[in-house]
Amino acid sequence: MEMNDPLRREEKKESTPDRKDDGPSRPDVSRPGRDDLLKRMKKVDPKQSEKYKQRTGQ
Amino acid sequence: MKRRIYGIETEYGLLIKEEDFKYGPIDVAVRIKNHIFDQKQGVLDLHYRANDEPPGNGGFLANGGRIYLDMGHLEYASPECSNLVDLITFDRAGDEIVQKALEELGWSEQVAFIKNNVDLETNATFGCHENYLVSRAFQFDNRENLRLLASFLVTRQIYAGAGRTGACNPQPFRDWDDIHQTRKDEEKVNFQISQRADHIPNEFYRWVQYNRAIVNTRDEQLSDPSKYRRIHLLVGDSNMSEFACALKMGTTSLMMELIELGVANPEWILSNSVDTMRDISRDPEFKWEITLRDGKPTTALELQWGMLQAGKKYLAGSSSDADWVLEAWESVLTDMPKGPEALIGRVDWASKYWLLTEFMKSENVGWQDPWIKSLDLEFHNLNKAHGLYWGLEANGDAHRKTSDEAIRFAMSSAPKGTRADGRGELVKTLLECQTGYLIDWIGFRLNKEEPFLMLDPFVSYKKEIQEYLRRMDLQEPFDGKNYFR
Repeated sequence: MEMNDPLRREEKKESTPDRKDDGPSRPDVSRPGRDDLLKRMKKVDPKQSEKYKQRTGQ
Repeated sequence: MKRRIYGIETEYGLLIKEEDFKYGPIDVAVRIKNHIFDQKQGVLDLHYRANDEPPGNGGFLANGGRIYLDMGHLEYASPECSNLVDLITFDRAGDEIVQKALEELGWSEQVAFIKNNVDLETNATFGCHENYLVSRAFQFDNRENLRLLASFLVTRQIYAGAGRTGACNPQPFRDWDDIHQTRKDEEKVNFQISQRADHIPNEFYRWVQYNRAIVNTRDEQLSDPSKYRRIHLLVGDSNMSEFACALKMGTTSLMMELIELGVANPEWILSNSVDTMRDISRDPEFKWEITLRDGKPTTALELQWGMLQAGKKYLAGSSSDADWVLEAWESVLTDMPKGPEALIGRVDWASKYWLLTEFMKSENVGWQDPWIKSLDLEFHNLNKAHGLYWGLEANGDAHRKTSDEAIRFAMSSAPKGTRADGRGELVKTLLECQTGYLIDWIGFRLNKEEPFLMLDPFVSYKKEIQEYLRRMDLQEPFDGKNYFR
């Protein structure tokens, strides 16, 4: 295993579940970052779904 | 956990955001594909692969994967990967390859790649296909095996689903079918946890378009057929969350192993897997009540707990991947009763549901507002400056399984430990040559030489290919007229 290979290093580093803290908390109205997420959402074109014209694939 | 080969195929959606953009989605897909190969990231096919795959329709990449056009979609097939970290890394590398091409063409503000599986206006659907190499001993003519796998796949959507607003209300899927009696009245569905549940009318079937099945039974091994079987599933959703994708593929692999070991419990089999799939997906209260074949009522969550316990009993300690999956699986099932917010970043439908409900509260709009559909799409936008999933990642809420550094590396280098490594070597060599070639997943042929077969996906063939290439005259010009004898 080559140590200069970032994939291999990552595999070793990430071999256990990513979060070892206490896990997500119960609903919290002041969840950090919520306002930034809402700002991002407000920038979305409300009609963009109508422009999404896809063919059925597999 | 047994040694596995994993792969994911993604059919991308293309959203043309600018009203007067010069190209439609199919033209954009063609030009992006051409750009990727013009940039020497891979070699285009010189030959027909099928009637609808003429020369130049796609090709293999230096990372061992493939980019091609399929049914109007740009599609990326990851190279064969032997562990979950590689799989997630190389799946994300495909996203980065197509997004980078969009940016290089200067179209990233007018066009967006949407990694989802449904057009919410027309209900066109397109897939995320999972590939698992199992031993030939995994019997497809044993319907009990397939029913057990179906029970798992139907209930795994509680953590693997990507979520969608609305529904594709019932159509007779087959000419000889009536619409299910209980579904004749239009159901009003605000949100469901799976993108694909409405589009899967069969339990087992081999077709990949329209008459899709929970368990696709097409037998196309792409390897030594005496040793291996490739299980090709099209029931799942494309995941944005690395954690969700790894959990989806990892739990499915463990379930296949329980079946192979003969320890999967027949009591897990559902009474009606197709209807149950849609009922779970559409349940507005997330209770996910189901009925087993023996008539016993239970829930999808309880059934998944039973499968997890069997996994822990028989497979704990068998590999680092198995241990990661068992721990992640347990953490998600434990947190599921706490509600969607407890699952943000690990379960895509839950992340999306939380984002949409927070937005509705903030803007005082309801599920039927067209803005909600548009936000649903935006969750899957691969553009990190805009896509909602990337907002979660920027916020520290994404549970990662790989890294940006590893993904960049995987855009042009093949995974180790599988035949993709040898194929990547071949593609990199061919990029500098004029010789004629024919490449497929199971081998290649140069000029008029005998084919070089790569029937074992666990073998890299890299040294053999390097040696083979050294013996060849790689500057012999391609003679298309006489090449395909």
